[in-house]
Amino acid sequence: MSTLVLEGEGLTMRFGGLVAMAEVDFKLNRGEILGVIGPNGAGKSTLLNIITGIYKPSSGQVRLEGDKLTGIPTHKIVERGIARTFQSSRLFGDLSVLDNVIIGRHVHTKCGVFDAVFRRGRAQRELKESAAIAEDLLKAVSRELYEQRHRPAAVLPQADRRRLEIARALASEPKVLLLDEPSSGMDDNDTEALITDIRAVCAARPDLAMIIIEHDMHLVSTLPHKVMVLDYGEKLAEGTYEEVRKIPRVQEAYLGRKAVENA
Amino acid sequence: MAASNHIETAAAGAGTGAVGIALVIAVELIGAAFLRQFLLVEDWRIIVGMLGVFCAALYVLQSRPALENRIAEAFSEHRRLATLLGAVIVLMFPFVLEQSTYALHLCVLSLLYATLALALNFQLGSANIPNFATGASYGIGAYASALLAVNLGVSFWLALPVAGLVATIFGFLLGLPSMRTRESYLALVTIAFGVVVHQLLNNLEFTGGPNGLVGIPAPELFGHNFASPLVVFGYSLPSQANFYYLSALLVLIAILFADRLHNSRVGLAWNALRADELAARCQGINTTWYKVLAFAVDAFLAGFAGTIYAFYVGFISPDNFTFLVSVTIMTMVIAGGMDNILGVIVGAVLLTLLPEKLRAFSDYRILFFGVTVIAFLMIRPQGIFPQRLRRYGG
Ligand SMILES: Nc1ncnc2c1ncn2[C@@H]1O[C@H](COP(=O)(O)OP(=O)(O)O)[C@@H](O)[C@H]1O
Ligand SMILES: [Mg+2]
Repeated sequence: MSTLVLEGEGLTMRFGGLVAMAEVDFKLNRGEILGVIGPNGAGKSTLLNIITGIYKPSSGQVRLEGDKLTGIPTHKIVERGIARTFQSSRLFGDLSVLDNVIIGRHVHTKCGVFDAVFRRGRAQRELKESAAIAEDLLKAVSRELYEQRHRPAAVLPQADRRRLEIARALASEPKVLLLDEPSSGMDDNDTEALITDIRAVCAARPDLAMIIIEHDMHLVSTLPHKVMVLDYGEKLAEGTYEEVRKIPRVQEAYLGRKAVENA
Repeated sequence: MAASNHIETAAAGAGTGAVGIALVIAVELIGAAFLRQFLLVEDWRIIVGMLGVFCAALYVLQSRPALENRIAEAFSEHRRLATLLGAVIVLMFPFVLEQSTYALHLCVLSLLYATLALALNFQLGSANIPNFATGASYGIGAYASALLAVNLGVSFWLALPVAGLVATIFGFLLGLPSMRTRESYLALVTIAFGVVVHQLLNNLEFTGGPNGLVGIPAPELFGHNFASPLVVFGYSLPSQANFYYLSALLVLIAILFADRLHNSRVGLAWNALRADELAARCQGINTTWYKVLAFAVDAFLAGFAGTIYAFYVGFISPDNFTFLVSVTIMTMVIAGGMDNILGVIVGAVLLTLLPEKLRAFSDYRILFFGVTVIAFLMIRPQGIFPQRLRRYGG
């Protein structure tokens, strides 16, 4: 049974004269993984920025379980159940690994200034609970990461930084998880480990829907249920990986440009 | 064999415990003795020598991180002892100052500046919001309470919370533009706010213009007037001691605020905002609200400090609350150590005393002051006591 969680309709994003996204529609069902591929500058990150409210689309709208998200500020969208990672990882580098994940639980905690100062017991209890949940989450995502929970996030190696970003995003218990090029900067071994990690995350959360932007074709061929191809802000194709990769225009847009890049 | 092993580890544990206790006691007593000497000494050669010793101590700390960690560990292990001894030292300190009213006066100023620096630390240290208007909030608190006392005969104890509230409201107002402006513009907004406040105080009639407000009565508590000497167990302390204990209490309140907020969801949100605002928003943090909140908390504490200052000196004028005051407070936070309570306090005390103690250099005083601050920052780029990671029960 497939139920619609997230959908975009006629999404268009103009920056002055540049059209970064043109009339893109997409649908994402519960428990489904959508892969988004396309050459650099195709508008993939722009799509995530529109969904998370960082950009307000020139036209079109995004709906989460039927409710319109467009126009709502980013922090409210997170509250509704959308979490993300960034292409160039954006951790809170001078805070501990554990603090990064605890901050990810911000929308599930409540204490404000008054509670923190005058109702210390309550504030401490809440923070302890968050810390316990965050530790469990770290353990589940990666044992190594858990061992390093008291180190500053900035000192982690690249692969662990990615994992931590995913753990932090999961801490908000999202309905939809958006990953922007999670394997960038990783070698084949790390990417393989990442695929295993993402599988484990999905297995533990059968309802979680995901959008993964990727360049690594091995990852794209294994994880997503369906793949969407963007080029110059337009949707070129959508379907399973096998279907999509046979389409000549996709090969041209993708492989053609790749070949040029390599030359 | 196993038993003897067990005993050995137990002994080692007791050994490190005793070393930790000795370390805590030594650090606190040496620190207090150093401060006392620095306050009382007048010969400029000794002052420069002491600064040299201080720099050397910083250098040792910087080059031996293990030593620094050991001390920090000892303090967190024997937290209760450290707090207790610290409290005793603060309580006893006026008794060892040889009745010097000047030294006590410097202590009061140091404590007020420590509060101001802790207030600004919520913004600059925790959230990296450059606020150049803490001096203005200080002034608003001072003027609000002084006006109440002079015109309406309101007592200090009522004027204090009211002034805190007034300063907070202004803090909120100052924070509102931060909803729309970005960092560097925000700095400009706060500078402008400080200038506007200064100009208003200078030109408005009811604030007394450039002449300021005079005749602010000293507070009274249970029939004891704060302008009269403080007699404890037959030992008489100069009247400044009253304000010494009052401002020490204020610093204690500021420390409680700072510590509790730092180790809470709010402190974490501020730190997230400092590290990466966009990423913070993507964790569901309403960054605008948290910025405004930091402005309000800063202004609240600064308003308290302003009230005590006004009732302490009994006379205030706009020139007590200039842009330079704000910059000084900022320097205290940066040199002391952003987001580290102890660091901020040490920075405030040191930078309050420094210009006073360098009077022998007359015209070159400010130059020497600047050189010293630069020296501190070169030796300890992260501040005297840098920020430390949070721990959750080990
Ligand atoms: N904030 C912005 N202002 C102007 N142009 C932008 C902005 N964000 C993205 N773009 C442009 O939109 C296009 C798509 O960018 P992006 O979505 O980052 O591509 P990618 O598919 O590589 O993630 C690029 O040409 C980029 O320069
Ligand atoms: Mg991108």
